[in-house]
Amino acid sequence: MSFRLPDVQRLLFPVAAAISLNLAVATSTQAAEPPIKVGLVAALSGQSAKSGEALTRGLTMAIDEVNAQGGVLGRPLELVRRDDESNPSKGMLAARELIQREKVTVLFGGLDTPVSLAIVPLANQLKVPFMGIWAAGTKITENGAADNYVFRVSAVDELVDEALVKYGADQGMKKPGMILINNPWGESNEAGFKRALEKRGLENAGVERIQDSDLDVVPQLTRLKNAGADTLLMVGNVGPSAQVVKSLDRMGWDVPVVSHWGPAGGRFGELAGPSASRVHFIQTYVFTEHNDAKGDALLAALKNAYPQIESLADVTPAVGIANAYDALHLSALAIENAGSTDGEAVRDGFYQITDYDGLIKDYRQPFTAQKHDALGPDDYVFAHFVGDQIVPLNP
Amino acid sequence: MKNLKTQLGPVSIVGLALISVVATFTLDSYSLLVFTLCALAAVVGVGLNVLIGLSGQISFGHIAFYAIGAYISALMTLAGWPLWLAVPAAGLVAGAIGALLAIPALRVTGSYLAMITIAFSFVVHHSLIEWRDVTGGSNGLMGIPMPEFADVDPSILLALIATALMIAALAFYQRLHHSGWGKAMRAVKASEIAARSLGFNPVVSKTLAFALSALLTGLAGSLLAPLLMFINPESFPFSQSILFVLAVIVGGSGTLFGPVLGALLIVLVPELLSDFAEYRLLIFSVLLLVVLWIAPNGLLGTIARRWIKPTALTPPARIDTRRVADYLGNRTHRDGLHIRDIGIRFGGVQAAQQVSLHAPAGSITSIIGPNGAGKTTVLNMISGFYTPDSGQIELGRALAGLPAWKSARAGIARTYQTTQLFGEMSVLDNVLVAMQQGRLGLIFSRPSDAQRELALDLLALVGYRGAVNIPAEDLAHVDRRLVEIARALATAPAVLLLDEPAAGLSRRDTDALATLLKQLAGFGLTVILVEHDMALVMAVSERLLVLDAGKPITVGTPAEVQHDERVIAAYLGGTDYQATPRNKAWDGSHDARLYVKDLVIDYGAAPVVNKVDLVVNPGELVAILGANGAGKSSILQCLAGLHRASGGSILLDNENIEQASASSIAGQGLALVPEGRQVFPYLSVRDNLLLGSYSRRDAVDAEGEIEAILQRFPRLRDRIDSPAGLLSGGEQQMVAVGRGLMAKPKILLLDEPSLGLSPSMIGELYDALAALRDEGVTLLLVDQMANLALQVADRAYVLETGRVIKSGSAAQLREDSELAAAYLGEGVSA
Amino acid sequence: MFTAAIVTGLGLGSMYALLALGFHLTYVVSHTVNFAQGSAMMVGAVLGYTLCITWGLSLWLALPLTLLLSALYGLVIERWLVRPFHSRGSQAWLMATVAGGILVDNLALFTFGKEPRQFESSLLNLKVELFGNAIGALQLLIPLVGAAIALALFLVRRYTRLGKVLEACVQNPRAAMLMGINVNRVVAIAFAISTVFAAIAGLLIAPLFSVNAEMGMLFGLKAFAVAILGGIASAGGVFVAGLLFGLTEALVTLYFGSAFTQILTFALVILALAIRPNGLFGSQALVKV
Repeated sequence: MSFRLPDVQRLLFPVAAAISLNLAVATSTQAAEPPIKVGLVAALSGQSAKSGEALTRGLTMAIDEVNAQGGVLGRPLELVRRDDESNPSKGMLAARELIQREKVTVLFGGLDTPVSLAIVPLANQLKVPFMGIWAAGTKITENGAADNYVFRVSAVDELVDEALVKYGADQGMKKPGMILINNPWGESNEAGFKRALEKRGLENAGVERIQDSDLDVVPQLTRLKNAGADTLLMVGNVGPSAQVVKSLDRMGWDVPVVSHWGPAGGRFGELAGPSASRVHFIQTYVFTEHNDAKGDALLAALKNAYPQIESLADVTPAVGIANAYDALHLSALAIENAGSTDGEAVRDGFYQITDYDGLIKDYRQPFTAQKHDALGPDDYVFAHFVGDQIVPLNP
Repeated sequence: MKNLKTQLGPVSIVGLALISVVATFTLDSYSLLVFTLCALAAVVGVGLNVLIGLSGQISFGHIAFYAIGAYISALMTLAGWPLWLAVPAAGLVAGAIGALLAIPALRVTGSYLAMITIAFSFVVHHSLIEWRDVTGGSNGLMGIPMPEFADVDPSILLALIATALMIAALAFYQRLHHSGWGKAMRAVKASEIAARSLGFNPVVSKTLAFALSALLTGLAGSLLAPLLMFINPESFPFSQSILFVLAVIVGGSGTLFGPVLGALLIVLVPELLSDFAEYRLLIFSVLLLVVLWIAPNGLLGTIARRWIKPTALTPPARIDTRRVADYLGNRTHRDGLHIRDIGIRFGGVQAAQQVSLHAPAGSITSIIGPNGAGKTTVLNMISGFYTPDSGQIELGRALAGLPAWKSARAGIARTYQTTQLFGEMSVLDNVLVAMQQGRLGLIFSRPSDAQRELALDLLALVGYRGAVNIPAEDLAHVDRRLVEIARALATAPAVLLLDEPAAGLSRRDTDALATLLKQLAGFGLTVILVEHDMALVMAVSERLLVLDAGKPITVGTPAEVQHDERVIAAYLGGTDYQATPRNKAWDGSHDARLYVKDLVIDYGAAPVVNKVDLVVNPGELVAILGANGAGKSSILQCLAGLHRASGGSILLDNENIEQASASSIAGQGLALVPEGRQVFPYLSVRDNLLLGSYSRRDAVDAEGEIEAILQRFPRLRDRIDSPAGLLSGGEQQMVAVGRGLMAKPKILLLDEPSLGLSPSMIGELYDALAALRDEGVTLLLVDQMANLALQVADRAYVLETGRVIKSGSAAQLREDSELAAAYLGEGVSA
Repeated sequence: MFTAAIVTGLGLGSMYALLALGFHLTYVVSHTVNFAQGSAMMVGAVLGYTLCITWGLSLWLALPLTLLLSALYGLVIERWLVRPFHSRGSQAWLMATVAGGILVDNLALFTFGKEPRQFESSLLNLKVELFGNAIGALQLLIPLVGAAIALALFLVRRYTRLGKVLEACVQNPRAAMLMGINVNRVVAIAFAISTVFAAIAGLLIAPLFSVNAEMGMLFGLKAFAVAILGGIASAGGVFVAGLLFGLTEALVTLYFGSAFTQILTFALVILALAIRPNGLFGSQALVKV
């Protein structure tokens, strides 16, 4: 016996669809079978709105492909999206709504690690697979639950930090300074960096923080410089990262910068100016002029579906699109393997995936009961901006 | 029947509790979560309502208290403490911090208060991020345990606790609203000045409101932590603070269920809009705007005002005189009030000096004098609003220098020139709150039946016959005065100060007032009256103190004062001044320049001007005479478009102007020289004059015309470039008249030009008016110095309580002996 | 580095002051403030970017057009978000302008775009040597422009006819009406000027920062803090408070790191108001009974 709140959103739905060009309209004409719903809880408004847009695009492209080939279990996939406003409590509420009201089979998460952390216990409790496709917080997948329903096709902070330190060390880094965004993401990477440095017996020149609102990062950078930093390890969104580069220019300090993937989140080349290319950052995937067949096809499809995309500079952030795209295909396989939309079965379906030739890589046995992260250190590539484009660096 | 309506609140609370419990057990778990969040938002709303609705302050920092509550509860439960301990602890800490925040917040109001609370929320937010060792920094606290009890589903348990908290908060609010604490807060909110003169210390009630409000918010926050199981600083964004305030305002601040309605709006509506994904905030903000446009003062308030009308409860016809006498007689000091040589300066102005008075118990003393004589200043010193620079005030003990609320507790009560009732409170509550004599009592103390009956008796005593359970702001003018007197009496004062109680009252009401005042003196009260209505003053006073320009002229019995030459001069204008009369009587066109027919003016209550007809012909100087409060100034303000007439027509050169705005009337050639000069104080005299020509469409020869004004008022020549505010009163009046003339008006209206001017200055000014008249400028003059006005005027109208009772040529009226009577009250029986 | 911090602080501070002068102007003529002031700054930057870069108009055409449209935005706010409430004696304009700000921020998100863009300025690359520090010409220009505008406001108010009319409405609105001044129109003009100031701040700050739909939020709040801190009724006080606030921020960042900027500056605001309840430069009005 369950009593539901008045279903005003059903009444409002046509309006919503008309406004947001919701995909449901496109798919609902296709099959008589009820669609299998997948959910996305991400920042769709506010500062991080761009990330939500990228995830939406990646998922949508993959869903279109799956549906064009007859869907999953003979049923089309349908994406239902919710805005978490980067607020964990809103995200948790939205996740609950998607799971219990919309009955989504798989739930995808957004950019903010705290929001994902708030959803993790819920997913495990309600036994619905929760797929992280952006947030890199280590604890999201390693959440300590006996019965873990959380998967990820994205970078993992702990591994990224290890990779960044390794990359720096290979370039001759002896005493790095850390310049980190003052938010959960920066905080979790601080711990990761310190562990990775400790492992190699490297000392650091200190930790400095930047804010989204900082106009001038010179004071922080000067402190690092005076402390003898020979390389900067940077974690920050595209805006603050650009401020760091601009401040470096102003100081005339020519120091190597090794960065998390923040700069790829927008028009870093435009924001940071000509010196943008000095920042070497990590990626899971990079769109270039010449991709493999899968990449070119996706790029063409994106340009076709979203007229705003005119050049490679508009396909940002590539990691969001690529992670979402691969994760959706992997989820479709898992549902297919499960033979039903039952949460437990789908979870086991993920374990049963043996081989999938994806955009980022060729996945072989991507998930096991012990390994819920599909991507590892070997899958990271380093890149930098050349003009407006991201160009991979050859190690 | 009566019970049903007064019990509406409690019954609704019980109803809400039942529905909530049923909902808790039937909702699916998502809906249950939404429901629980709504309940918690409602608790925060109720808390904020204590602050906004009861005490009239605002806070954009409540998200910080919410966060503090959540973090404390999370930290405690994570450390192994049970939730039932963590919740009250969180509430208490939040309440204590709220009381601390009240310290800086008390000193400021309005936007300044808003800023302090905003800053507070930012400090808390960033402290939560930086205090990593305790708060877990940006990554927050994880794995917060849910409460366990028997085998109940923890989320249902939390929903039940949240429901209980919401119901308790509502019951608390309902009870607080009517308690001594609540009344004190509402009184301070409605009029801090009046509350202080009833003995309330605003600092206490405001601090209490802040602490209680923070306490409730902290309690709500403490339940949020186990509900979400994970909190970090981003769970408490600043925007949520604004939404909380919005919930209270849109729901209806000061109403019991407004915050509940508001909570639904800020929690449920976004959920209903969730399908709009990225467009949700956009649509939500549009919705908010629509709601604000529809009901700017709150949905519930709007609904309640329209549909819920209480059954009228009226004071008894028969009064228990004995009980009233006992109550009013118990604090009188036989020796009465002694004032010795008090004086005060404001900036460079000596507003009062060497004022002495002895008012024995059981007597009525009046303070009279022209406007600006310092009468109200003396009352303000006696009641503790101003600290006298010198002199003593004694009522059994020394009072000078005590704050108003202490003077009030010592036995001094007062009323105000413009009534200062607590508008949102009922008539009865206005009286009952005064009966607390500034004490708050226990938190839930409510007035006893005996107190209620006494309050009703007091209302009956002053002659109030209307309903006592309607908001005081809905009262008519006369009733406001009466209720204000009843409220002052409810403090059981030894001394009652009345500031122009008869202003705007009809003759009959004034006569009733006279009887009442005598009766009060009979109870042993010391009554001090500031009043312009001479009939009243002469009829009731034992003794009169006459002030002029801050100095006492004389003290004496009514008979003595009435024949005192100096007093007559102060009132009827310097009889020694002789204006130059016209060479020959006016004989111009009767094609009216200004034609007023059936003019009715009111300020929401009974009309202050009723069916007045006026005609001013081109080139004529017409005066309107009458006592204070007769409606003279109201007519001029209405003609100038500052107040819209509620009936009748006004024609300026045959064009209707009664619906036009003040600025367009000025553009059509009607200029008003307003009462009190109203020059632009920080602009130079030259700029003031130039602004006078703003409305003209023809080319202005600025230099030439200013020169003409300077020739008319040579005194201004030296001052032409100094700020107008630094000029003396007379010089400012010249600037004001000059400014009016710069408009080259078809008709110039002058409102009390001689007010507060020295006799020599008055002479100079009236010479200038006579000259203008002789040059053919059309003038309409209002002046309480009737003799003066009649010397320069061609014709005059005499106004009493909003009606024209006499009109004729100035010469006829000058000879009229009844006119003097109208001013000094001679020959009128009371 | 100290010099650089001072320059940054003065630059930031003068931009806060420009926004805060907008708060001041609308407050003195109508006792209302526009809480969408931050979004007006964003509107200025976004319009400037769109006209200049996206549509490729010349700077000399784009600049006046941006300011004109910003003024229009101010008029819209006054007409629809303030006057309907203010004229009825309701305080709901406060909520309405907040909601209006959210609305405009979100509209910008969907029209301008979700990612920050760079508004290039050649002035930024022009370096000036100051006490041994290379500082972008724009960074020096910003406080100068801020001071120039504040000075211009002062001169206009003191010496022009419009200024006199504005002063008349500030000092005595009823008497101003009697002079034939349409006070409603003056209030509307004050709102327009206030949003234009915000837009200028947005345009100036954009090259140093980036243009995005959310850029106004925090800036607007800080500017409100500045207006209150200075004593909102005092133009000079507001300007000085802006500079002080900017300098404090820059110096806190310099010595403690930017993580503590907001804790310390806002704590100082509370402290300052506790000591001077009418702002640093405001004065207490005499209570009339």
